[in-house]
Amino acid sequence: MSLPEFKLLRPRTVTEAMETLAGHSGNIRVLAGGTDLIPSMRQKLFEPEYVLDLRGVAELAGIYRSESGVIIGALTTLRAIEKSPILREQYPVLTEAAATVASPVLRNMGTIGGNICLDTRCLWYNQSLTWRKGCGFCIKKDGDLCHVAPGGTKCWAAFSGDTPPALLCLGAEIEMVSPAGARRIPLHEFYTGLGDNYRKLKSDEIVARVFLPACSAGYRGVYRKLRVRGSIDYPLAGVAVAIKRSNGHVADARVAITAVNPAPVLVSGATDALNGKAIDESIAEAVGDLAAKTAKPLTTSALTPEYRREMIRVFTKRAVLAAAAN
Amino acid sequence: MKKELIELRINGRTYELAVEPSTLLLDALRQDLGMTGSKRGCDDSSCGACTVLIDGTAMLSCTLLAASVQGREVTTIEGVTEHGSLASIQKSYGEWGGAQCGYCTPGFIMTVKSLLAENENPTEEEIRSALSSNLCRCTGYLQMYQAIKAAIEAERVGMAAVKE
Amino acid sequence: MNNGFSIIGKPTAMVDAAEKTTGAGKYTDDFSLPGMLIGKILHSPYPHARLKSIDTSRAEKLDGVVAVVVGKDAPKTYGILPVGHDEYPLALDKVRYVGDNVACVVAVSEAIAEKALELIDVDYEVLPAYFDPEESMKAEKDLIHDHKAHNIEKDYHHAFGDPELGFAEADQIAEARFIANEVTHAAMEPHSTLASFEIDPHTGKPGRLIVWSSTQVPYYLQHKLSLVLEMPMQQIRVIKPLVGGGFGGKSEVIPLEIIAAVAARKAKAPVKITYTREEVFWAHRGRPRTIIDLKTGVKADGRITAVKARVVQDGGGYCSYGVVTILYSGALLGALYDIPNIQYDGYRVLTNKPACGAMRGHGTVNVRFAFESQLDELAAKVGMDAAEIRQRNLLKPPCITVNGLRVQSYGLPECIEKTVERSGWKQRKGKLPRGRGLGIACSHYVSGAANSIIRSDMPHSTVNIKIDRDGGVVVYTGASEIGQGSDTMTAQIAAEALGCSLSRVRVIAADTDLTPIDIGSYSSRVTFMAGNATLRAANEVKKLIAAAAAKKMNCAVEELVFRDDRVLKNGGTEKNAGEGGSAAKSQATQSQATQAHAAQSEASVSGRVEGQILRGSLQQKRKDEGPKDALTFEEAVVAAIDFHGALTGTGSYAPPPEARGGKHKGGGVGPSPAYSYSAQVAEVSVDEDTGEVTVHKVWAAHDCGRALNPVSVEGQIIGSVWMGMGQALTEEMVWKDGMLMNPGLLEYRSPSSVESPEIEPIIVESIDPEGPFGAKECSEGSLAATIPAIANAIYDAVGVRLHESPFTPERVLAALRAKKNAKSLNLTEGVDPTQPARFREHGGALWFKNKGPIRHRADQPANSTSIGGAD
Repeated sequence: MSLPEFKLLRPRTVTEAMETLAGHSGNIRVLAGGTDLIPSMRQKLFEPEYVLDLRGVAELAGIYRSESGVIIGALTTLRAIEKSPILREQYPVLTEAAATVASPVLRNMGTIGGNICLDTRCLWYNQSLTWRKGCGFCIKKDGDLCHVAPGGTKCWAAFSGDTPPALLCLGAEIEMVSPAGARRIPLHEFYTGLGDNYRKLKSDEIVARVFLPACSAGYRGVYRKLRVRGSIDYPLAGVAVAIKRSNGHVADARVAITAVNPAPVLVSGATDALNGKAIDESIAEAVGDLAAKTAKPLTTSALTPEYRREMIRVFTKRAVLAAAAN
Repeated sequence: MKKELIELRINGRTYELAVEPSTLLLDALRQDLGMTGSKRGCDDSSCGACTVLIDGTAMLSCTLLAASVQGREVTTIEGVTEHGSLASIQKSYGEWGGAQCGYCTPGFIMTVKSLLAENENPTEEEIRSALSSNLCRCTGYLQMYQAIKAAIEAERVGMAAVKE
Repeated sequence: MNNGFSIIGKPTAMVDAAEKTTGAGKYTDDFSLPGMLIGKILHSPYPHARLKSIDTSRAEKLDGVVAVVVGKDAPKTYGILPVGHDEYPLALDKVRYVGDNVACVVAVSEAIAEKALELIDVDYEVLPAYFDPEESMKAEKDLIHDHKAHNIEKDYHHAFGDPELGFAEADQIAEARFIANEVTHAAMEPHSTLASFEIDPHTGKPGRLIVWSSTQVPYYLQHKLSLVLEMPMQQIRVIKPLVGGGFGGKSEVIPLEIIAAVAARKAKAPVKITYTREEVFWAHRGRPRTIIDLKTGVKADGRITAVKARVVQDGGGYCSYGVVTILYSGALLGALYDIPNIQYDGYRVLTNKPACGAMRGHGTVNVRFAFESQLDELAAKVGMDAAEIRQRNLLKPPCITVNGLRVQSYGLPECIEKTVERSGWKQRKGKLPRGRGLGIACSHYVSGAANSIIRSDMPHSTVNIKIDRDGGVVVYTGASEIGQGSDTMTAQIAAEALGCSLSRVRVIAADTDLTPIDIGSYSSRVTFMAGNATLRAANEVKKLIAAAAAKKMNCAVEELVFRDDRVLKNGGTEKNAGEGGSAAKSQATQSQATQAHAAQSEASVSGRVEGQILRGSLQQKRKDEGPKDALTFEEAVVAAIDFHGALTGTGSYAPPPEARGGKHKGGGVGPSPAYSYSAQVAEVSVDEDTGEVTVHKVWAAHDCGRALNPVSVEGQIIGSVWMGMGQALTEEMVWKDGMLMNPGLLEYRSPSSVESPEIEPIIVESIDPEGPFGAKECSEGSLAATIPAIANAIYDAVGVRLHESPFTPERVLAALRAKKNAKSLNLTEGVDPTQPARFREHGGALWFKNKGPIRHRADQPANSTSIGGAD
């Protein structure tokens, strides 16, 4: 399966990248690690006129301490995040999540920016052109139907990144740059909750940096992921939990889930259910129920929605207990 | 699409070749340079048969554009033999049954190379985890672990001999 | 493991190991020829449709396209079985599954060929399709193949003994339905074929066809190419380069192999076609989804009295190996245990999905899962240990089973004994903490089919050996190395028989111009059959050498021993029995010291003469040394060549008539000259909240007759167990209305190293009387036991019996919930392919609503009634 034809643009600096984007915005895709985009282009899910290859932009990679916390360049590989001592010590939930992405070799290539921007996934979408022709095109690409919810007009493709729920728990913000300048938003505002137009990224914008606030440093964290194989697989359900404790009680806590909605989402009510409590089975179970209520899985992957929702419940409970025991 | 001239450093040598912008590194290696040791086993970046080292780090050549790796040092399976002889990892893969059909083997050897470069004496757990990037359909992976341990031992003995 | 052999029984690196570990070895897709073009196949988007017309004109006009091939270019049927010639290389009138082959574009590059595929206009008349075999069997019209009533490819009804009486005598009876879902080989190398015509020097026109292909069966390919291209077989040369795994997926002629040749003929240039991974899934020929209604009766003492099985296989759109598969499923109920009464009703059913065929453990695996699971239940019912009930039902060989299978060597008792011992079964079974359990199961497999699929008296394997003055031994074998070690086995047997070193032997394999006919690498036949042929060929040549050497050494042929590149008079010391082929006996007497000495002096001699034809110097040397009681291998060879010219020998193997089975209809499938045996214990744990099953360890004892190369045998055992574990836990082809939902290695989940368990292979050697050096098969027999061993271990761990494989977390959790009668979650809803009506609620393809696929924007609108109206 060959890639569609495109023109390749290889800027060396962010400024150059912005000039290129200003000149070619329109049918352009941004390439970082390529682990999502390249297979998708093979399947003709994207047939851009231009590909902007960011690999050469060294200033976008790296993990830095700042007064307000830690800054991670969008081009930092998931491997570098997994191995970073600062992150392991200060933001362990991110380390855990990064370490579960796909496989070691894919983590050598994949970037945090790419994981945040990861296209939503669906069994009826992530297929070859020939396959999709046979099945009938769907809302997300070339058609106006949904195979997951026939008759519906909403796309339910599931967001399947592992690190964003961890980042949500940490209250991360992201910086996007465009030829017009930079803007910074909390990560949860980045996602629309729709399967097709799943993110708020303008066609001339790139995600440049991730900010982890100092106030989230030191939160105990756990990431639990449902997958069939112990490697390679995308999550079929994922839960991140970050907890700050004082005197055996929860001072602050956040729970976020992934792969069961078109966006990674913070579990509303989880913070209230946990704050000020000493965590026990029943509290963990209650948070599990909240998470399961937040999950809206559909038949977008090999396992059934019912099972994935149930696993969100079980995994959340376990993650909360594990984070409390850490 | 019009081809562009690019320069690649592969196994310590420089090659100039004309490729389309959409040419994958794997295709440049196999079709343009005749280095067919790297294999294609899937189309969704899941199998690892095409693994090469980019500046010493294991990556999938089927998921990299050839033009993107200009200026980087690419090592392929063709660059693993030492002075025309098998490297110890290659020898022990043969002796311990680490290769059956052999199709996934070049990818595994590259993955193991990068593992051992990072960690001279990995535990079985670390080996198991490092190998999880590559799929093998013949061996169930077990004889590979033996091969890797034997290669580490051979290197250790070899190094000791050199020191003496 | 020293059995008095020099080479046999010693762990040996594969003869092609360096090629594989350096990447220097060539697989089909690694070849290219000057002027070679790339072929790409257009596949059907419909599961069942009539082809009304194909318009290729737009594609042909695309720059870079050389030819477009369609069904009319080769309107001949073929199929692997003589009774199943139901495939066209490219569809002529109908398509029968999503992915069926419609046309092939030949172009200067893959990208152009892919683009041209989008420009082929095909007009289909969509027909009702059948996806569930039990539904399909009710079909009265719109049949998949017109001549197959009720879409039944073949059904067999066998009764051996008196099953009714057997059940009447039983104290306990168990009856249940088991389902094993569809799995595929997923060999790492996607199929690839390169076809090229040579120009005939006399006619100046295209003459001979040369085909390089990733195949397990080069001679069948040559035969089918000859049928479809209407060329004599001698005008076709098939070369099998390295093959990146087969497991049965390359054991028949796959559409691309014929299409590439037809395309090369039409394009008048070499054409290579390599499947995408998705196309590999469509080519398939894997293990069919199988529904097994099984009933077994036992006496209170554990003796099996009767077995009744009704087996329905979801065979897909074409016959493939189907008739054989459905027969194996019944026949291999016998030959493992002593079962006096068997009733078998097997149905191979056509459905609108890719054809199923042969896959590792062909035919036996799914039924074995059901049988061994049920035997476990019965053991519990009669209050007997699960290992013991198996020991109660052993055969007493040599014997002929009730269904006509001849059993000679039978290592099953030892296999059970060893696994029970190594796994600590007696001490640990039933005593592990909750959630953790042990399960045992057994299996067996043929060492090649006693009856070839081509009905003929031809030997199944023939091997030629040539030795010339350089002292090199060249073995020409048609056997196909596919990663299982066939070339290494051949070299080992030749070297052992000739008493020469392994490095002296070159194996030329699987090239129809060079090597004698061998029917291929399938049904685990190569070691037994090609191995025997190699042994016989080596003994032929050895006779010539021995005669000349005896003359030189002034002794009788019977006094000679060939060993370690030497020919020794009187075996050095004692008088030998001197059986031509029995290297074992004559060599066992030698002391280690003599061996070492012999090896040393050989090294100095061959050091001087290596690679040369220095008869003079050899003679000089001989004079120097005075009277001989030993010759080097070269000296002996040169002496023989002086007398005969270059030395050649031929050996062949045909299974003996006694091993060819009963006379009943279908009785030809199942018989084998020898059966391998396996017993396994699996240790698992089950997470009761998630249903996730972890396999910690599998102890697998396998009776392979004799382990010619223990490292390979262990590799084959581990690989089989591992693949069985994949089928047991993670692998499944998921279908929605004829669409394969997981046609890639990302979603078809072949286990990674992380969840692959420890496997302890235990070699059991029963020394088969007819196998080469006593060897039998070792590559397939272990697979079938793994699935029920895991199922039985799950039962031991948490008390639920899984009736459907794979045992995915959701199936396990559903079973746990059902048992607890807790808040019921209908977790299998939506993944149960027996309920097509239900998928639709959960989504599915839309063709069934007669809407048809919506056109891609790159397509020209064919008419204005396109649905969806995106553009």
